[in-house]
Amino acid sequence: MLEIRNLHATVEGREILNGLDLIIHPGEVHAIMGPNGSGKSTLANVIAGREGYTVTEGEVVFDGKNLLDMAPEIRACEGLFLAFQYPVEIPGVANLYFLKAAVNAVRKHRGEPPVDAMDFWDLIHERMELVKMDDSMLKRSVNEGFSGGEKKRNEVFQMAVLQPRFAVLDETDSGLDIDALKVVADGVNALRGPERGFLVITHYQRLLDYIVPDYVHVLVNGRIVRSGDKSLALELEEQGYALYNEEPGRARRAAA
Amino acid sequence: MTAIAAVPQDPYRQAFNAFMTSRREPATITRLRREAFTRFETLGLPTRHQEAWRFTDLGTLHQIAFQRSADTPVEAGALPTLEIPAHRLVFVNGRFAPGLSQPRPLPEQTLVATLGRILSTQPRQVTLHLDQLPGLTQHPFVALNTAFWEDGAFIHLPRGTVVETPIHLIFHATGGDSTVHPRLLLVLEDGAQATVVVEYRGQGRYLTAPVAELQLGDGATLDYHEVQEESLQAWHLGGIRLRQGRDSQSRLHLLSFGGQLARTDLEALLDGEGANCTLNGLTLASDTQVSDFHVRVEHAQPRGTSQQLFKSVLDGKARSVFDGMIHVRPHAQKTDARQASRNLLLSKQASANSNPRLEILADDVKCGHGSSTGFLDPNAEFYLRARGIDAAQARAMLVGAFANDSLNSIQLTPLRERLTRLLATRLSLDLIEGE
Repeated sequence: MLEIRNLHATVEGREILNGLDLIIHPGEVHAIMGPNGSGKSTLANVIAGREGYTVTEGEVVFDGKNLLDMAPEIRACEGLFLAFQYPVEIPGVANLYFLKAAVNAVRKHRGEPPVDAMDFWDLIHERMELVKMDDSMLKRSVNEGFSGGEKKRNEVFQMAVLQPRFAVLDETDSGLDIDALKVVADGVNALRGPERGFLVITHYQRLLDYIVPDYVHVLVNGRIVRSGDKSLALELEEQGYALYNEEPGRARRAAA
Repeated sequence: MTAIAAVPQDPYRQAFNAFMTSRREPATITRLRREAFTRFETLGLPTRHQEAWRFTDLGTLHQIAFQRSADTPVEAGALPTLEIPAHRLVFVNGRFAPGLSQPRPLPEQTLVATLGRILSTQPRQVTLHLDQLPGLTQHPFVALNTAFWEDGAFIHLPRGTVVETPIHLIFHATGGDSTVHPRLLLVLEDGAQATVVVEYRGQGRYLTAPVAELQLGDGATLDYHEVQEESLQAWHLGGIRLRQGRDSQSRLHLLSFGGQLARTDLEALLDGEGANCTLNGLTLASDTQVSDFHVRVEHAQPRGTSQQLFKSVLDGKARSVFDGMIHVRPHAQKTDARQASRNLLLSKQASANSNPRLEILADDVKCGHGSSTGFLDPNAEFYLRARGIDAAQARAMLVGAFANDSLNSIQLTPLRERLTRLLATRLSLDLIEGE
């Protein structure tokens, strides 16, 4: 469902992704691990279409369509979801209003009428239980004053409501304590299914104890240097990234 | 007889002489007009060399030969309603339009009427209160209004009277290079309460120089809403004087949407212990519109509180000006005064001038002011787009969030809803009901 071929991308003129290849089929969960500055977040942002990331070579095909030609909102409407590493606070826009706008945007793209108010309400409540959110979070402004854990739960909640075909989780485990991590992982696991793919980006193996991946890839200096099954994550946990680290932190330095 | 060549006279002087021959009113009023006109002549039309008008460019105003407005019929359907019962007075080009107005029963001794009628039936009421509040003495357009006002609204609530039905005043101008001088005189005696909505609007090119005088006795409460939706060719140069007694409360919502140039000068005098004043300003401007608020809040007595929040949303080459002064007199201990100006720029050509000032002569007070100007947060825009919301709607949602915050403090529900819709239309925002 997602095919990345020979992807090269630059940020402010510095090459961060350097010939990345990755193929993900429906139903698969892939994890990308790598040291700081290896290009993990750049990959997530390129897939989602954030400004400031320039693709200089290669392609990303999503369900047979050229993803890189699409505006960020079209990618989302086509079924792509990015769980942000740093969810943005939006004062004055209530969470519920935001979600309804998002759901209706996707429906409009599919040529469907706006969601029925009762159906929406039922969906929201069903999905809230999944990530143990309470009603008060719906009325609050998007992420405003949320704790780190609440923000990440809100990302998974949005994913559960929007039900994308493919989701990228960008360091969704960062800043979470173990209880919050379990809640987030349970939410993701509940959405796993034969039609849905996931790309889980993480620095630590810990998350992968809870979201068990089908494949693990090691990203170093903008390319995948090794792929394997979940045991690769455990190996990395023991040995660290030193083995792969020819030129550490290239992306991080460019971003600074 | 000696033939003397006519000396070309100032057009304002000619207009004033012609105007005065048509008036039949008490000597006090005539004197007031003459003094005001002399003051206007002395002050002249402001230029940008004057400190108070440094950021306000009157543009081509000086070149236009304004005339007294004609009587032009206006369709009732073209005027806004509050969608709830209201005491409604409509003035077209500064003159009362009884056919468009709707008086309602009022408590005894309470007046919601036209200045013209009260001047003929109870002239003392008018002479006692008109132009009696301090402030704005150097404002040429306030002087112009006092010289030229034809009619306006007179609201008088005796002690302890509560008028729950909103008082809805509409001042509509029909253009044709006319000048209009709407006047509002409001007197709330001790403990009285009123809700007032004033709308300034019109078509075509004109100058409107309205003056509102708001007087609150001890313990009185006023909810005042001013909706400025003038034509985009119009000049709106208004003045508001406010004086508050002990423990009185005023909430003024000042919404500025129209006009090529719209400026309101407001002087609030907190003249009794524990008086509270809230000023909530919102400007929405685009193209080359200029919107300007000059505000002075004077704390004259102890334990007064004031909160000012002035926001503007500026697109195109629009400009906003906020000049705010909090002045705390030596005697006004325990004053708590806040002032903030927040500006959102939607284009690189838009600009906001913000000049918050404090003058504190008492030593035991809490005062604070702040000002910020910025563009939409690109991270927030991307976040919304990454959820499927298109760029235009994402921007509109963010702008709406910024501005709605000001509208949400309006208690009068139908007005708040109308303004929210107006905002949405102006921002091309698809409203999604989201409870």
